[in-house]
Amino acid sequence: MTEQLNSDKELDLKGLPCPMPIVKVSKGIKDIEIGQVLKAVTTDPGSLNDFPAWARSSGNEILDTHQNGEEITFYIKRSA
Amino acid sequence: MDKQLQDKLLELFTGKLSRQVQLYLDTCSRCGVCSDTCHVYASMPIPKYTPAYRAEVVRRIFKKYFKAQGKLLPVLGEAKILDETALDELKEAAYSCTGCRRCMVYCPFGIDTQQIMSIAKLLLIGANSEPEILTMLADMSISKGESIEESKERFIEGLKRLETDVIDKWKIKAGKTPIPTDAQNADILYVALAGAHSIVPAAAIFNAAGENWSLSFFEAVNFGAFVGDPAKTKLISDRIVNEAKRLKVKEVSICECGTAFRVMKHLSGPQPFKVSSLTEVHARYLREGRIKLDQSKFDLPVTYHDPCQMARNAGVIDDPRFILQHLTDDFREMAPDPKYNWCCGGGGGLVALGEETLDFRMKSARVKADQVKKTGAKILATACENCHTQLSDLNDHYKMNVEVKFLSSMVADALVH
Repeated sequence: MTEQLNSDKELDLKGLPCPMPIVKVSKGIKDIEIGQVLKAVTTDPGSLNDFPAWARSSGNEILDTHQNGEEITFYIKRSA
Repeated sequence: MDKQLQDKLLELFTGKLSRQVQLYLDTCSRCGVCSDTCHVYASMPIPKYTPAYRAEVVRRIFKKYFKAQGKLLPVLGEAKILDETALDELKEAAYSCTGCRRCMVYCPFGIDTQQIMSIAKLLLIGANSEPEILTMLADMSISKGESIEESKERFIEGLKRLETDVIDKWKIKAGKTPIPTDAQNADILYVALAGAHSIVPAAAIFNAAGENWSLSFFEAVNFGAFVGDPAKTKLISDRIVNEAKRLKVKEVSICECGTAFRVMKHLSGPQPFKVSSLTEVHARYLREGRIKLDQSKFDLPVTYHDPCQMARNAGVIDDPRFILQHLTDDFREMAPDPKYNWCCGGGGGLVALGEETLDFRMKSARVKADQVKKTGAKILATACENCHTQLSDLNDHYKMNVEVKFLSSMVADALVH
């Protein structure tokens, strides 16, 4: 089911250290409309905790997270 | 600016007016000694980048609203109205200052520009004019603290992927956990950053020293301090304080993050545990013979950049040099000496603002690049994440031809079995 998620914008954040993935996601999500979905791919292990915490504090919603080796993919719905 | 907002900002200003700060605001004689001491002005000689000018932006508002002369005869006191223009000037002043306090050690009166800039930062927060990225990062850290039980499992899962790397650096007895967490009565609670580079070398060294340690669930960095929000700074550091109290640890050791160390050491108030930097712990292990290092591991000349928040602002000056004596025969001290060392140009939240500040960070730290080049060193060691990022950017920009390394990673790589 998660593989079928469509996104309206993608961010390649691979190789960026903390806090840059969150910095770029918080800027990138403003480029889509409320209700649209942002796909972000990181390799920063800290993002597993950072992204949910950021989503909660910024009022956005993480629809799905999956890992493939070092790559972590988030699907984030802009809700605020 | 409407009166309601102005009143709110003046209330925030009043809250910052300790006797110490009032003395700083009353005292400047405009002697100009501080001008050349600021790396920004020394690299880009524009008057607005002198410490005295930055402080004057705040001082004129102080004169207008808190001094009799400014209230009655504002022209004479060069008093300034707190309005939108003033907010722009406060932002320019506060975010062109890294809070390194180099100006303070040269100032004949010891005026602490960093403390004056903390007023500017607080007023910007009150007017919702601070860099929103820094507030967002601070809010994220606080949110993580509020939901730690949800994220513990993910965190421990992530640590399992680092265990092999830790064991590669230092083998441990079968059955022992390479990266312990939640260990009651640990002698040390180590507070790292999110990346493997902050966890793996430190874990290997703790294991090599036979330490009874535990890794914190929280990252050390305090974005509340970068943005200058005292309430958020406290909430973020309280996450660690509460974990340390719950585990009844004897000591909290902060990773190579200068601001995180200074906040915990000097701003978190009296605590039932000792606070140390990772660098101090490593020096202690060497003194006590708990670890040994291969002095031939690095055969290139090495220099060391003192992170301002660790050296000038927290006194960790001798320990990194003691460690480096065990790592190289060719250590080259930068000039001027550590107390007067140039800031890397990345502090005060500038590195966390990323590409937005890159051009300014490069232009304003030319003197740092020159200072490094003069040593002829090929390895540039440091003990702060912000400094490491900024120095790496400077290395690319100014072709310094050095390898920027964390001191802890050098120690871990040179461990003798």
